[in-house]
Amino acid sequence: MVFHSLRVVVATAKFNLIMTWRFFSWTGFALRFFMPLMSLGAAWILYNDIYQRTTSPEFGSAVGSSNYLSFITVGSAFYVFVFGASFVVGRVMFWERTMGTIEATFMTPMSRLAYMAGVMTAAAVNSFIDFIAVFFIGVFFGFQIASFNAPLLLAAMLLTAFGLFGIGLMTNAVTLTFRDRTTTANTLMTLFMVFSGIVCPVELMPAWAQMISKALPLTYGIRLMRSSLFGIEMYDATYDLVALTALGIIFVVIGAITLRLIERNLKKKALFSVF
Amino acid sequence: MFFRVVLAEMKKNVKQHFFTVRILFWTLALPLGNGLYLYFFYLPFAATSVNLEFYASNFTLDLAGFTLIGQLLYSFFTMMLIAGNTFVREREQGTLEAVLLSPANRIAVILGGALAGAFHYVWLLIGVVFSWIAFINVGVVINDFLALFASILLSYLSLVALGMCFEAFFFHSRRGTMYATMLQEPIMFLSGLAFPIQSMPRALLPFSYLLPLTFGLISVRLTLLGGASMFDVAFPLTILATMVIVFSVLATWLIGYAEHKAKVKATLTQF
Repeated sequence: MVFHSLRVVVATAKFNLIMTWRFFSWTGFALRFFMPLMSLGAAWILYNDIYQRTTSPEFGSAVGSSNYLSFITVGSAFYVFVFGASFVVGRVMFWERTMGTIEATFMTPMSRLAYMAGVMTAAAVNSFIDFIAVFFIGVFFGFQIASFNAPLLLAAMLLTAFGLFGIGLMTNAVTLTFRDRTTTANTLMTLFMVFSGIVCPVELMPAWAQMISKALPLTYGIRLMRSSLFGIEMYDATYDLVALTALGIIFVVIGAITLRLIERNLKKKALFSVF
Repeated sequence: MFFRVVLAEMKKNVKQHFFTVRILFWTLALPLGNGLYLYFFYLPFAATSVNLEFYASNFTLDLAGFTLIGQLLYSFFTMMLIAGNTFVREREQGTLEAVLLSPANRIAVILGGALAGAFHYVWLLIGVVFSWIAFINVGVVINDFLALFASILLSYLSLVALGMCFEAFFFHSRRGTMYATMLQEPIMFLSGLAFPIQSMPRALLPFSYLLPLTFGLISVRLTLLGGASMFDVAFPLTILATMVIVFSVLATWLIGYAEHKAKVKATLTQF
């Protein structure tokens, strides 16, 4: 059973990677960097022109560094990683339905989770390329590394990908029910991203926003990534690693259950491919 | 006849968009997320207000309001971009030739799509306003209601006219959806949505001034948040009025040209 699931993961990941690179488009590739470029450009203007290179003392104490542009660069890199991965994973069922293959996919004896994990693996590999590219772009905007903790960065990325997998499962479940592709996925992702602290430390957000942040795995993922590049005490990293792992498991479990329930409901009502 | 086509197209587009009432929730939640994204940008600087300068006017605006109004107008602009895909959608549905064979006025068809986009925007407007009032205190200062009304109306008309121009371009280029997506972030940056326009690098300012969104943002922000009078915003309003005329004329010509070229090359539906 485990071996079979692994074969499904590998086969799906391989299929998705081949599909991505066979039909590679430079326009599509460039399009993925528009949002981070906008964020970096706006941050550069705010920092250098409007606020004359001065951030608030609260920012310095929350981040452990006053390097605002490096803070935003890591946030933007995280954004493309999350967006690249979730954009693909969150729309799997939609595209299966659009291509007319959703019924065949669900008729196969493979594990749904293994299939989705395969898609996630391919998406994470592709997103990692985007992730690295943003750091190179960030150098032109003033990105600097204070310290580099490779194991922590790797752990942060893997655990974030795991949490994203859970979010992807939930997004698919919602997309299957609501029968729409862009609005649902975009709204969910926007809300997840806003509250995870991409452009602002969670500590500076209003109290109600902090409560939402604490329930999102991405919040801990981005903090770990920043910690791996800016330096952090071991206690904080441990806390974030544990929180990220726990939330990742919770999201995956909720996502798997939701997807199964919705699949059963759609089968009962014969609504898989018919609207 | 013209208005019947406009109304029919509008009704069709609204029905296609709201294919389920649950879409309403997402239509309300998305602008809140986008608005907060802009607002959070300023928190590392402990800012509560923003200075907006334009053509001898200098106003200090409430930060939450600055980002709110920016997001409201930008959401509308995005709606217009998406509405600019009317003919592309007809082509995808296989109904483009039937639409063009009908005696319906082309401008009326596109105007109906654009107005439907504006109708969708009403939900965004309600969602954003209510969510921001609930979560963040927005400081509104209105001294001249006529100036505010003129700012909103001219911003709306100029964006609709620009949306019609995009329609013709997307129709002709056959990559409408991709262009509509590609344009969003550059316009977000160039229009001064995230920061005051006076801080825009000089090399980019000419591009900013080509966008009605830039002047819409200036006039609506100043009249709604800064208490500006008609005299204060006369210059951006004049530019917006000019843009309404120019873009309307341009849209009429562009649509006729795109249709003519497609018919000559027999590429209306085939790629």
